[in-house]
Amino acid sequence: MDFGSRTHGHGRMSSVDSDHEMPMHARRPSAPHSLGHRLSRRKESMQHVHPKPPLTPNSTSMPQSMTNPLLPSAPTSPPTPAPSPTPHQRSPTAWPPSLDDTEDSLMEEARHIFNRLSTTAKENWLRSFVDMCDNHSLSFLHHIVSPKLKKDPFHALPPEMCYKILEFIDDPKTFVRASQVSRRWREILSDDQAWKTLCEKHAYRRMSTDSIGSNLNTSASASQILYGHLRSASPNRVPDSMSAIDESPEGAPVSPQTTLTTDSSRRNKKARPRSTHRSHFKHRYLVESAWRKGGKVTPKHITPDQGVVTSLHLTRKYIVVALDNAKIHVFNTKGDHQKTLQGHVMGVWAMVPWDDILVSGGCDRDVRVWNMVTGTSVHTMRGHTSTVRCLKMSNAKTAISGSRDTTLRVWDLTTGLCTNTLMGHQASVRCLQIHGDLVVSGSYDTTAKIWSISTGQCLRTLQGHFSQIYAIAFDGQRIATGSLDTSVRIWNPQDGSCQAILQGHTSLVGQLQMRGNTLVTGGSDGSVRVWSLLSNQPIHRLAAHDNSVTSLQFDDTRIVSGGSDGRVKIWDTNTGALIRELCQPAEAVWRVAFESERCVVMASRGGRTIMEVWDFTPPAEVGDVEDEDGPLEMRGFAAQEGDEEMIDAEEEIDGGGSMLEAYSTGEDESEDMTD
Amino acid sequence: MSEPQILKLMSNDNVEIPVDKDVACRSILIKNMMDDIGEQALTEAIPIPNVNEAVLNKVIEWCVHHKNDPTQTNDDDADSRKKTTDIDEWDQKFMQVDQEMLFEIILAANYLDIKALLDVGCKTVANMIKGKSPEEIRKTFNIQNDFTPEEEDQIRRENEWAEDR
Repeated sequence: MDFGSRTHGHGRMSSVDSDHEMPMHARRPSAPHSLGHRLSRRKESMQHVHPKPPLTPNSTSMPQSMTNPLLPSAPTSPPTPAPSPTPHQRSPTAWPPSLDDTEDSLMEEARHIFNRLSTTAKENWLRSFVDMCDNHSLSFLHHIVSPKLKKDPFHALPPEMCYKILEFIDDPKTFVRASQVSRRWREILSDDQAWKTLCEKHAYRRMSTDSIGSNLNTSASASQILYGHLRSASPNRVPDSMSAIDESPEGAPVSPQTTLTTDSSRRNKKARPRSTHRSHFKHRYLVESAWRKGGKVTPKHITPDQGVVTSLHLTRKYIVVALDNAKIHVFNTKGDHQKTLQGHVMGVWAMVPWDDILVSGGCDRDVRVWNMVTGTSVHTMRGHTSTVRCLKMSNAKTAISGSRDTTLRVWDLTTGLCTNTLMGHQASVRCLQIHGDLVVSGSYDTTAKIWSISTGQCLRTLQGHFSQIYAIAFDGQRIATGSLDTSVRIWNPQDGSCQAILQGHTSLVGQLQMRGNTLVTGGSDGSVRVWSLLSNQPIHRLAAHDNSVTSLQFDDTRIVSGGSDGRVKIWDTNTGALIRELCQPAEAVWRVAFESERCVVMASRGGRTIMEVWDFTPPAEVGDVEDEDGPLEMRGFAAQEGDEEMIDAEEEIDGGGSMLEAYSTGEDESEDMTD
Repeated sequence: MSEPQILKLMSNDNVEIPVDKDVACRSILIKNMMDDIGEQALTEAIPIPNVNEAVLNKVIEWCVHHKNDPTQTNDDDADSRKKTTDIDEWDQKFMQVDQEMLFEIILAANYLDIKALLDVGCKTVANMIKGKSPEEIRKTFNIQNDFTPEEEDQIRRENEWAEDR
């Protein structure tokens, strides 16, 4: 269509402008006299709210068009002689051929008339033009019209609205793609609040290590036991004790070290002001990706022969492995061997770490206290008359052991003395769990008992199972027990009543972890079951292993199970879907343990006991640091690396780098596995 | 039930639009105004200085259709927003307008404090962004790529982490 191409191509500036404006306002039903007025008002208000940089070269001259005499807002100064009322009736043959001036003036006249038409008349006029167009012209028309109907939302809308739009996007891929659109989009997309919302949608808890078991036993007084006065000399060594917070019961008196550690975690947060939600999201996203289909594995041979792994603990600083050959091996979190704790003369069957302390027990009936930093024995505590089968700590100074001799003993780790013996069970004490001043024990006598740690009194006896109890969990609200009678029972710790019997396993229930309102159990039938403790109904029934489930742990995101079929499987806690099988199948898997960015597998492979340390920490990216000086003002990346806290100065030596963030910031609430 | 009360809204281009009071009160701004000034609001046109006639008509059309919707409480608000970008069929059709109109509806909904409409508008824009490449987004909204090739390359590298899953 000539009309369009001509004016667009080499029309005068004023024509171009009016041409530019026409389609936009032509579609608005309004009285012609108010058009210019409205136009300027609209422009003002828009520019007031959000300055609008030029989108197209044309628009730079838009303000001129407001005073353009062609617009009806200035009807007093028509640019051409009075328009002919019947332009259509002119015979084309009457036009002087090849006289551009005449043609131009006719065109201008036509535009002038067009401008004065009512909306309906304009539409009719345009339709008549469109009807005259062939496909080529139509597609040209489309080409010039469609961009005019488009508009950059992040320019048209104020920032709050832009962020609101982003709230409806939960896909990080869209986020990062959108940030590549233009500078303005990049600016909007680097808003940390938007990333925070995204973190929330993905349940990437801020400042959290989510899945660390309660093995992360750290506290000021733990160091006191090992180092005496040393603690006050270096307050920065005080870790942000997750377990001190974890394990102090709600409503229980706040111990001094809990207060102290809360202070230290507050200090943690202050110490990393540059960490952003974007970097946090990126980190967590990469970790999650690695859990799904990546990760680095470091295998280590533990014994030259077929040693049985009886216990595995993963803490912020250590991986601790106990064996039935009387040895305890201490590794750093990367799996580098640190110390071997030698002293037990028979198999070690139970142990519990707390900061740099380890308490262990086994067939030789002794309970030993170790310093994992030096590898030395601190105390050997005697009293039990048979194998020590289970051990837990209630605070940095108190350990409780359960034994085949039917008793539990409470130990003061500062003096190395037994402060109480809890007698009442009729058979071996197989498992125990502590919450505040209460310890619950599960026994082969088919009962579980609730005791007061401070008085040594048995408060309740939980009767109902028909066979030995092998596993117990206790969070202050509920007690869960797993038994050889294939059932799981849920008990009320207040009155000792049985609240529910969870049935479904077809064999011994030896694995059990409780977290919030979710219980996960593993049985010798090879199945893993996820239960809702609100409804006391199964949520997922996973046919996990061909043989016994030997080990399991879960958090809000995943369940990791190991079986005597030699496989380690990762499941989605929420959907119950199998995410991956972690290792090459081994002959048997003894133990698995994980925290947010690591997983440790103890297995038997080729007749030897091996440890596989999986690391899901994303590699440090040099580029991220460079961004800080980049031309684009990279918000969000700066804090990614090199922002370790003083508190972790120690770890920096052996670990260093990007792993620190996850380890040092957690405020974890997960439950420990019962052995 | 008495006769529906009619009040008049005055758009910023000075057009008076009569609206059923219940419909107009989908706007929390107007509702609060009514609560404040009471019956007087019925006698004089209420100026809506930020919204022109075309947009105001569109907004009223939406309010008429959603007249009987239960009002959102603040509690389920956060939840429902998290959940979905699903838009019901009528709203989808309603939002089939040119982009300028769409953005003006969003601005008007924000000004008039009509949460549900604001959400629908923002969801509509979000859906136009989702799943698109940067170039497709530029095309959708006619946006100029104002990065230098070097910057573009750098930004692409920075953002690779989210692409390969």
